[in-house]
Amino acid sequence: MTTIDLDELLENLAQCRRCGICRNAVYEDKGFDGVCPVWKNSAGFETSFMRGRIQVALALLDGRLEKTEENAESLFSCTLCGNCTSICAAEFDPAKCLESVREVLNEIPNAVRDTIAKKILENNNPYVDENKTRRDWVKEVGFDIPGTGEVLYFTGCTAGLKLPETAKSTAKVLNAAGVNFAVLEEEPCCGSVMIRTGMVEEAKKNAEKALEMIAKSGAKKIVVTCAGCLKTLREDYSERFGLDVPEVLHMVEYLKPLIESGKLKLKKSSEIKKITWHDPCHLGRALGVYEEPRDILKAIPGVELVEMETNREAAMCCGSGGGLRSYDGNLAKKIASDRIQDAEAIDADILATACPFCEHNLKDGANRIGSKIRVVDILDLISKQLQ
Amino acid sequence: MDNVVVQKLIAIVGEDYVSTRQDVLLAYSTSASMSYDTVLPDAVVLPQSTEQVSEILKVATQYKIPVTPRSGGSSLQGEVIPKEGALVIDLLRLTEIEVFPDLRSVTVGAGINFGKLDKLLNKQDLWLPVYPGSSLTATIAGNVAVNGSGFGSSQFGCIGELVLGLEVVLPNGEIIQTGSEANPNAPGPFLRYAFGPDITGLFIGSLGVFGIITKVSLKIFKRMHHFDYNTYGFNTPQEAEKFVIQCKENEISPVWIAIYEGRILDFFLEMVGEEYGVPKYEWPPITVSMVIGRIREDQLESDRAEAQRICVEEGGHVIGIAELPKGEWDDRMRELARSSYVHGWHWRILYHHVTPSQWHRTIEEMWPLFDEFGVLGHTAGFQSDHSSYNYYPQIFFDPQDAEDESKAKAAHKELVKRLFKTGAVPFKLAPYWVDGITEMEPYLNFLKDLKEAIDPNGIMSPGTIPGIEGED
Repeated sequence: MTTIDLDELLENLAQCRRCGICRNAVYEDKGFDGVCPVWKNSAGFETSFMRGRIQVALALLDGRLEKTEENAESLFSCTLCGNCTSICAAEFDPAKCLESVREVLNEIPNAVRDTIAKKILENNNPYVDENKTRRDWVKEVGFDIPGTGEVLYFTGCTAGLKLPETAKSTAKVLNAAGVNFAVLEEEPCCGSVMIRTGMVEEAKKNAEKALEMIAKSGAKKIVVTCAGCLKTLREDYSERFGLDVPEVLHMVEYLKPLIESGKLKLKKSSEIKKITWHDPCHLGRALGVYEEPRDILKAIPGVELVEMETNREAAMCCGSGGGLRSYDGNLAKKIASDRIQDAEAIDADILATACPFCEHNLKDGANRIGSKIRVVDILDLISKQLQ
Repeated sequence: MDNVVVQKLIAIVGEDYVSTRQDVLLAYSTSASMSYDTVLPDAVVLPQSTEQVSEILKVATQYKIPVTPRSGGSSLQGEVIPKEGALVIDLLRLTEIEVFPDLRSVTVGAGINFGKLDKLLNKQDLWLPVYPGSSLTATIAGNVAVNGSGFGSSQFGCIGELVLGLEVVLPNGEIIQTGSEANPNAPGPFLRYAFGPDITGLFIGSLGVFGIITKVSLKIFKRMHHFDYNTYGFNTPQEAEKFVIQCKENEISPVWIAIYEGRILDFFLEMVGEEYGVPKYEWPPITVSMVIGRIREDQLESDRAEAQRICVEEGGHVIGIAELPKGEWDDRMRELARSSYVHGWHWRILYHHVTPSQWHRTIEEMWPLFDEFGVLGHTAGFQSDHSSYNYYPQIFFDPQDAEDESKAKAAHKELVKRLFKTGAVPFKLAPYWVDGITEMEPYLNFLKDLKEAIDPNGIMSPGTIPGIEGED
């Protein structure tokens, strides 16, 4: 049962005048140098950017196109990065509309989407059968982390199960700042990917379960290191599901005042040279968090922060969002390679980001083209500079 | 489409760049043209080079397959809506750019849009000083195929005035180069009118009916950095028209001149006034929004004073609100799109050129007709050349209301006829103009003869200019 008002959705989709700005616009004054990462890194048919996707969506909705997996492919070959929304001259949010279309049309077969949702509902994560292993990293930090407390570090599936270094770094940084924090004994998935791929009913069930577990921890504040978790817990839980969630902050938001007030002191590093910042779409375009991570990087003694050609509102995506990494891994990695080349173009030594999805995909993108650029999570950087 | 043909296309461009999928065909059945019926092509192909375009057209000619070339897909008058069974050739992979600084020219592939070129030229303090309202998505080649115009045209003319030569693939697959570059020993594009008649001009504004433009060579200029933004008020259209003519006559360098009737300006400002920071003001019956651009400051100072003198001499007054023209100019890459989208309506557009002295005639025809047909709409426009003014009335409709759309179509069709009688000429020889114009049989017959000579099988962009095609 969809929560979407179909008439409203159709009215919104009708706002698309098919101008095509969402494809490859270069708008120097506003910082755009291309718009759609999928169009740029695929054959380039009309269906590979938002104008064509909207036409396909309308045709699927009104029956001009049969509801088949192939016909719906373009709806899922999108990272939902929102760069099209940033540049769109019309009065609507194309990326948000596409997310809604996925929900309305979720009867169309899509094995990848269904498998992810099933795994999350069954295992509390999309990756492994045994969810308890996601807390294994706690044993390696050298101090105890309770399962309850007022400040809860919600690790997220990817940091917990695929990139535990980020989780460990976060714990070390919080500890160094004197913050007493907790990590859930058996943390659930936030459900972001279910929402993005149209499995919203399932996502709501998951959210209610997750929130119950969070509530039991006694958390009054939640900190995250995943931009996807941030958007989901902060925005979707309340706006979509009407759930009452404690304050949710990304670590870059949480740490900035701690660094500025001197509670967290950072030392100079001899190995850090030129760093560029990749804006995760869910952190930047979705929630407007652009300056905090940059301010943190600039606070590390000896760091030279350099900007890529596209950044902030006009930043190109890493390629992993919107379920694309699972749906078409090769395309996602190709997009990541493209983003790595943006960093290479400005001679950056390190590309830092604040989302394990971005980090994971960008690392693959760098490997794919043999790039020497180091892709790191900002928490990993900070943890190495603790005084 | 016959699988034999599809296989031949795959052999030319590779499997990844040919599609006959239903979802893909559907996406190519339309463009930015609103209120045009969608038509599914049979296949879409994305060539990467002029040679591939040539091979594709040889196949199309052999099998007599109608071809619709497209690039940005941003045209508004149905130019790239394919014919049933057509092969769409998407040219966006033709992305070469070569700058010739000493020749003050540039050559671009058919896939290059204005924004992309502008950024590149800006690094060298150069520009192509015409910015259509769709600059962020329209390709330069596509714009040449419709002889477009935009910001900058008030001084530099329509895009065709800047073209030095074209590379064109003819329907039979032959590749020709026009202008000075026809000489393979030429250092680059430097003269359009070389080697006899203006063959370049045959393809400018041709809407793709004679061949596919794969490269365009254009004049480029040192970028202007000195601008004067001002608004001028008049009580009558005739005063404003004379002001514009006198500004041009006295060699003022206006890169943007727009004449606004009071109620149209009110509507426009309701949409974007706040965004542009335009202060509240009791605007006069007619307002001229003008941007003067110059390379040197002393030239600008002289122009500024002269414009103010002419304004007063013609019975007007200098309003002095700079935010309107500045907002328009700064937003020139998308202003026309922005102001047309923000109100939420869809619209049929009726591009045409008039003389500045006839500016009032379009308004006089438009409003009564809107009342007669019970439609809403407005118009905007700008000085587009030496002595022409580009108008684009928009007739609004609700995209989800078929009756509303049908009224808009009927009003649109009638307005063409009435505007033609006022002496207006098409910006593009779109189908509704061919249907609406009379008294031009010899000219249209000549175009028809040319079409038959160049494209005997009638495969190129069928339906785009129906009056010059043979019977199906």
